[in-house]
Parts: sequence; structure tokens; C-alpha cells
Amino acid sequence: MELITALFGETAPALARMSRYILPLVAAVIVARCVGSMLRERYEPETWAYLYLPGNIMVPLRHWECILGRAKSVDGQVNDPSVERLHACLIRDAAGGWKIYNLGRGQTFVNGDLVPAGGAPIQDADVLTMGSAAARFVDLTEEERASLLKYRHAPGRRVRPGATLLLLTVFQILLLLQQLTYNPGAGAGVAIAFGVVAAVQWAYFIVLRASGQTGFEPELLAFFLTSVGMSVAASKTPDDMIKYIILFLTAVSLYVFLCLWIRDLGRVKSVRMYAFIAAVAMLAATRLLATPRNGAYSWIELGGQLTIQPSELVKVLYIYAGAATLDRLFVDRNLIFYIGFSAACVGLLALMGDFGTALVFFVTFLVISFMRSGSFATAFLAVGSAVLAVMVVLSLKPETLSRFAMWGHVWEDIYDKGFQQVRAMSAAASGGLFGQGAGNGWLVDIYAAETDMVFAVVSEELGLITALCCVVSLLAMAGFVVKNASAGRSSYFVIAAAATVSMMMTQMILNVLGTMDILPFTGVTFPFVSVGGSSLLGCWMMLAFVKGCDTRANASFAVMRPERFSGGAGVAGAGDGEEDGWEEDGGYDGQDGDWYDGGYDPRGGRE
Amino acid sequence: MRKVTRRAFAVLLLAAIMVGGMGIYLFRLVRDGGEWASFYANDSVYTQGVLNRGAILDRNGAVLAAAGEGGLTYADDASVRRGCLHVVGDLAGNIGTSILSNCRPELVNYSFFTGTTTEGGTIQLTLDPQISAAAYDALSGKKGAVLVYNYQTGEILCMTSTPGWDPQQGVTFDLDDPDYEGAFINRAISSTFTPGSVFKLVTLAAAIEQIPDLWQQTFTCTGETIIGGQRIVCTGHHGTITVDQALAHSCNVAFGEIARQLGGQTIARYAEAYGLTSPHALSEDIPTAAGSVPAAQSDGDAAWAGIGQYEDLINPYAFLRLMGAIANGGVCVEPVLFAGSKPATEQLMDPSTARTLSEMMSYNVQYEYGAGNYPGLEMHAKTGTAETYGGTHAWFAGFITNPGAPLAFVVLAERAGGGYYVASPIASTVLQKAVAVLGG
Repeated sequence: MELITALFGETAPALARMSRYILPLVAAVIVARCVGSMLRERYEPETWAYLYLPGNIMVPLRHWECILGRAKSVDGQVNDPSVERLHACLIRDAAGGWKIYNLGRGQTFVNGDLVPAGGAPIQDADVLTMGSAAARFVDLTEEERASLLKYRHAPGRRVRPGATLLLLTVFQILLLLQQLTYNPGAGAGVAIAFGVVAAVQWAYFIVLRASGQTGFEPELLAFFLTSVGMSVAASKTPDDMIKYIILFLTAVSLYVFLCLWIRDLGRVKSVRMYAFIAAVAMLAATRLLATPRNGAYSWIELGGQLTIQPSELVKVLYIYAGAATLDRLFVDRNLIFYIGFSAACVGLLALMGDFGTALVFFVTFLVISFMRSGSFATAFLAVGSAVLAVMVVLSLKPETLSRFAMWGHVWEDIYDKGFQQVRAMSAAASGGLFGQGAGNGWLVDIYAAETDMVFAVVSEELGLITALCCVVSLLAMAGFVVKNASAGRSSYFVIAAAATVSMMMTQMILNVLGTMDILPFTGVTFPFVSVGGSSLLGCWMMLAFVKGCDTRANASFAVMRPERFSGGAGVAGAGDGEEDGWEEDGGYDGQDGDWYDGGYDPRGGRE
Repeated sequence: MRKVTRRAFAVLLLAAIMVGGMGIYLFRLVRDGGEWASFYANDSVYTQGVLNRGAILDRNGAVLAAAGEGGLTYADDASVRRGCLHVVGDLAGNIGTSILSNCRPELVNYSFFTGTTTEGGTIQLTLDPQISAAAYDALSGKKGAVLVYNYQTGEILCMTSTPGWDPQQGVTFDLDDPDYEGAFINRAISSTFTPGSVFKLVTLAAAIEQIPDLWQQTFTCTGETIIGGQRIVCTGHHGTITVDQALAHSCNVAFGEIARQLGGQTIARYAEAYGLTSPHALSEDIPTAAGSVPAAQSDGDAAWAGIGQYEDLINPYAFLRLMGAIANGGVCVEPVLFAGSKPATEQLMDPSTARTLSEMMSYNVQYEYGAGNYPGLEMHAKTGTAETYGGTHAWFAGFITNPGAPLAFVVLAERAGGGYYVASPIASTVLQKAVAVLGG
């Protein structure tokens, strides 16, 4: 307050009051610009090779993983009774090499040679024979590749991300102004916190923009949500912002690292096994070392003020390990392993008594399963779902159950079971559309309000408009993933991105609707907004998967540019030839750690 | 791959759940937001659980109760505070039917758009502080209720219930103290009482419409009679009398006979038609207690029911509506508490029946009660003395037709004696005050 009076003098309170009406409008414009950009930009499929089917029908191969067969849902449909429904699978590696695998009972031949169990490499002009049908594989020439790239459009030209970022900075300044005016505890720490967020987002933008990237919608939304969360943290613990700043910096660093990491699918696959092990180990360790809170063993106290909730980080590992490339989807063993892994995770969460997180994992399991399941996999996954559902139910502890009993009746027990929610609703209604002002609320002082009821805190302090903007941000991310999925390179990225937004939306559903007594109150976090280090780290890391499926031209540094694959052939694409500052050693590193994945190990069949 | 990319649409199902859930939330927020924001734990409008904004004004715009950071301030005059207590209410919420208990969203000045970020709201009532104070003083320690309303505009000028207390002092009495029995209840709207002879107006209305030779009949009262094996005792020896004399004398023998002729079913049907057995919503929101007039099966029970005994129970507010309808040619203008509200109207009674009753109620005053007891008032009324365990309820109900003061009223003094001796003087005092205030 002294700071703000020193800056603005007597006009400070009037300024803050006015800013309360401007802030939600700025939020709405930011989110509208991001959503508008996501909706209006083009999602053009990439073309990697061609297939000439019988009758000289040309089929462009739009993905790195394509299925050939008689079924309607395949990428190259061969209308011949001698062809199996799902007959063969073409897979491209990051270095540009293609291999063909035989699926099911039929046989496949390349130039007359039978394709062995481990698949066979194919090259330009090879003839692929399935049953009595023959198809010709035609790889792209460098010239074709270059000319195709020219016709692809980079995002960011219709809705300029720089202007959105400027608005986001205005939003942060308004938040800070209100915090300093209304929150008696807010001081230099809060100012530094908002300053760091603004500095990081600008540095991120400038570096990536300079390296030719133009798609920024998911990150802008994440920065927006994080700013809102920062304001909630400032309202709750204005003296403890340094910890939050460090966590934020760590989160963004891990996000950037993960984006760079997943550029190379081979590298991603090579450490999946460690992700499996780490996920189960972390959950097991949590159960053993955790200090119980309200009957749940979810938090490990690391001494001092530091407490971590490992399940938030396991979410990242679960998606990392749970997504899979198409070749793996057809192996029963992989599927059984995946169900076993999911059962282990949910089972451990059940032991921890963390019903909310168990439910989030379960919904994510369902989404990944649905996307993974081929025709014969459905039965396995149905059984797996049932087993996991039982485990979710087992995770219900008496404390949670007693809250369930209050579902829909919180106003009948305002002193005990409904204590938190009636206050959340009261505060949320109090805020109206524009809010009482950042730092000017009382709900944040109620137990767990800054995490489990953060939607109500945001509604109270920043107003319903801003709160709805937070909801729309995550919904937009989901729509973005669905749009991008159609042009996805590998099913790994599509599944990972879909699983990420599913996880985030499930958390949002449980958080918002639980707070408002529309669903039972399970106490999960609102992604990016809920105050909590582990949650923030997890969310930013998961954001990398959303970026990983963005195949628009020059949109995402988590996706390698097509022209980089041809081993230094040096084809400049999309009209800009500047150096990609994030370039890694492209290509397949040849280190595949999938030891349990016998039959379809791409190297197994190389002779 | 095509299958996998297509199945990514599954995530939109979750998005749809969220959108649906938000729809429910927004619907509830629009519907209940005011209630939520008025919850006592909302620190933005309560200071340690005490409302810190909003004001309730009387019909002249003077403060009856105003909330601020320092708590609640009431009117300066103690009788005004007490006379308006049960309508205004107290901050502890002891009086469930009060404005303070029922109109928090308006006081908090909640709106969907601004939440509670604006100043508190004011509610202007139709209550007149002087008439209410006069009613409180006139009840002079008796338990009961006084209701006065303008039967043409619907404005409630006085709704006083006793026992009460001075809200500025807070509740200082012992809840078990018999002197304060039911102090938190607004007897005018939340209680029902045995009506006694005021109910004869209902029986008479039924008789006017259902007994064709009513005006030709005469009734002989020797102080008591036997109907259906039950002994009906009268207040005096009235001799051979006509119907209007029977009403003026409040003759039980005559009305017992009329009730026998009507039968219990008809009496119950009329009570229901006149709104005496259904709950009402005062100013559309505050519920009132429903009376009951069960259909008596035997002639003896019907006789007792027709003279307002048996199992008859009447709510004073519902009876006020009926008085308003008689005064207004059968049309009831719904009583309202909020200044400026447009009341609904209802044809409660046949206009000619209303006219006849009105004339007979005037006749009561001229030939039985004594017009001199109501100086300056064009009084039409009926007394009632209801026999109950522990004493008789004194009733006096009717209306005045003074130009500029078209007021209907109900006075009830609980277990306080006879209608003529106890309730009638209270009504006279209060209405003289009202006429003086209104300049009628």
C-alpha cells in the first residue's frame, strides 16, 4: 500500500477501483485472441510420401505411422477381399527411413520378399504386395518436399502473438496494482514475482520469435493462467513469493527442456521404460514417506517449509509412458503391460487415499485406452477399466465419503461438512462479474481455498469473467489438440497431447464443479491456477505435450521442422531460412530401450 | 493413424461435461447468487457475522433500521422500534418472517453483475411509524396483533405483534419466561387462532348466498338451545330476532341454527373460497400460516363451527384480506409491504354479498357497539370472543370508510378477554391515529 501510494499518490484507490473493471476485459481479450488464433489458423496436414494403390490411386501418407488394409478407418484403404482389414503398417523414423510391418494373419511382400516379423525397410519405388493387391511406395524428392513446404502456412499472421503478450503484460500490471492497493501484506516480493513472470514470458517470446517460431497460443494461455495463480498466491502468502518465483522458473525450464526432448521420437521412446519405473517408484515412495493429511498420504515433507506432492509429477510420467507409437499398439504384450502399469499407479493412489488424483488418472487411462485400442485391444482394455474402477473406489476414505454424503446438500451443513463450499459459493457470488479486486478477498484464508477452491477465489477477487476466462483457456487447449490431431505425425504425440488436455480438463471439472457442489468435492487442483509447486511443475511439463502435437508450419519448437530431417540436405522451407536455435542432433539415435517389446522392435528385423 | 486422430475427439466429451457443468453453475448463480452472497460468513458484507450495509425505511423515508460497520441502528422512538419489530426483524435472525431475514440480498444490494462490490441497498416499506407505535402502545402489554392496511392500495400501514422487545437493546429476556411466549413469532402472519364470533361473517356470507328465505326467517333466543344433541349457549336472552339483529347481538342460538341449515361442508367451502384455509405470500415472498376450517359432520359440530368455535382456526392476515374484500365491494387488493409495489387483486366475494355484509357491519356499530366509541371513524366491524383453554381471545375486525383513509383492520388480543371490551378500544385508538396521520 505504501508503495502504491508513493507511486500514484491520492489517486491510487480510484485507480485501483477503475482497474477492477478493466482487468476482466483485458483477460477476456487475451483469451479471445488466443482462441481466435487457434480457430482461424490453418491446420494443414504434412505429406511424407505417396502410395499408389491398385488402379493407380494415389494416397498421400500424412503421418509417420500409416495403416494399410481393407477397413474403412485405415490410412490407405485397399479394396480387395484378399487383403486383411488391418494388413500392414508403414512407419517412418525421424531420419526419414520407412519400414513396413505385417499386421494380423496375412502376409506382406516387398518386391517379392516376405516381410519378416521385425518388419522390412522400404525405399522409393518399392512394390508392396498384400494378398493379391500390389501398391507402389513413392518417397518424396527433395524438390517435391521443398515445394510442398512453401504451401504451408505459419500461424501468427492473423492474430499477432506479440500484441497478445503486450495485453498479458497489462493484465499483470493491473493485478500488481490491485494487489499493492488491496492486499496489506503485498510488497516488494509480490512486485518481483509479477516482474519475473513478465520477464520470462518476454524472454521466451523474443528468443523463439527470433528463431522463427510463430505459434504461441498454448504458452500464452499458460502464462495467463499462471499469472492468475500468482495473484492467488500473493493473496494467500504475500511474504512467501520467492519460493513461488523459484518454482515458476523451474517449471518453465523443465517445460522448455521437455519440449526439446520430445522433438526426437526415438529419444523419447528410448527412456520410456525409465518413466514407467520412475512413476511407480515415486508413488510407492510417497505412500511410504508421506505425512498424512486428512487421511491422504499424498504429501512428502522435505523439512522446513518445503512439501511436495509427487503425484502431480507422476502425471507427466504417466502420459510420457502411456502414450505409444502405432507399431506398439498392435502388440498384446504392450497393452497388458500398459494396463498393469495403470493399475499399479491407480492402486498406489488408492493406498495413498488420494481419491481425486486416482479419479484423474482413471479418466486419463480411459482416454488413452480409447485412443490406443485397436479392434482386438478393446476387450483387454474393458477388463482393465473395470479393475481400475474398483481401485478408484477403494481409494475412497471415510473422510472423502462423508463429503460425498453432503453432495448437493452443502447448505444444510454450513458449520461442518459444507463449511468450505458454502463459503466458496458465497465469496464467488460476491465478486460479481468484475471482482472485489486482487488481494481484496476473504475466501483465500479458508483452508485449502487457494488450491481446491481456487475457482471461487478467482471469482471473488477477479470476477466471474476472469474465472470463466480460465475455464475457456483450458477448453481452448483441448480444442486445439483435437484440431492438431488430424495432422499429427506420430500417434505418440497425438495420444500424449489428448491425454494431457484430458487430465487438465478432468482436474478442472472436479475442481470447479466440486467447489460449487455440482459434483462431489474431491479436492483436486485447477491446472496452472491452483497454488502449489508440484502442481505448477507438472502442468508446465505437460504443456510440452500440447506443444508436441502442434505440426503447423514453424509453430512449435517441440516439433522438428520437416526440412531438418533430410540429413543436412539443406532445403529451406516456408520462406524463412533463419537458423533454428533449438536444433538438436536430429534423427534416430538407435537406442531403443523397449526390452519388453519383442516382436516389433524396429531393429529386431534389420539384417 | 486415422483412427487414433479421429478418436482424439473423445477429449471434447470432457469439454462438453465442463460446459454443461458451467451451465448449471451459472444458472444456479443467477437464481441463488443473492442468497449465497447474503450468507453470514461473507466477510465483504458482514463484520464478524453482523450485516454492515443496507437500510430499511418507513413509508416516509425515515430509517427503521440501518446497518453499518458499527452494527444496526433502529428508529429513535422506542415504541416505533417495538411496533415495527416483527416486520423489520433483528440482526440475529430471531424473527424468521422479517425483512432482515428475508431480504438480505436486497439489503446487501447483490446483483449478478456487480456482486456485492457496490454500496448496500435500501428497502422502503409501507409501514407507518406512528400508527405502528400507537398499536404497540394500545396493546399495552397484552399478547396479540394489530393489522391495518389500505384496502384500495394494498399498503400495510401497521403490522404489530406482541410480545416483542426493544431491538436496540437486543434479546435480554429469558426464552422460557411466559410473558415472552412466542416473542419471535409474528402473530399477525405466522399464527392461527380460534376466531369466535368474527367467523360469523363467513357463516353469514354463506347464508346470504345459500339460504333463499334468510331474510324472512326469525330466530328465537332463550339463552341457549340444543342442536344435534349439543347445547349451544348464548351470550344473552335475545328473544325473537332477525338476521341483522342476530349479527349485531352476535347471537349464538341464531347462528347455530343458520349453520345447521348450511351444514359443515358449506361453511368449510366458504372459508376455503375466502382464502382463510390457504397460506398466502406476503409481498410475494414471506409465507403466512394457513388457517383451518374442517367440514363438521354432525349438526351440533356444524353449529359450533358456524359460530367460530369447533376446530376453526384463523390466521389474522388472512382475515384482514377478507375484511379488505368486504370493504372493497368483494375485490381483495393483496396487502403489500414494499413501497411502490403494484398489488395483485382478486375477486374474493360476490359484490352484492360484500355490500350486504358491509351494511350489516355498519349496523353492528350503530345499534350495538355504539358509534360514539369510534369518534371520527366510519366504522364497520364485528367483535369476536373466542373460547379457548386458558382464556378468551378478543377479536375486533372490520374497516373504516373515511374519505382518505380506506383502511381495513384486524385486532387480536390473545387470551385477554372479550372482543368488545378489549379489542374494540385498541382498534378505535389505532384507527383514530391512522385517520389523524392520513388526514382522512
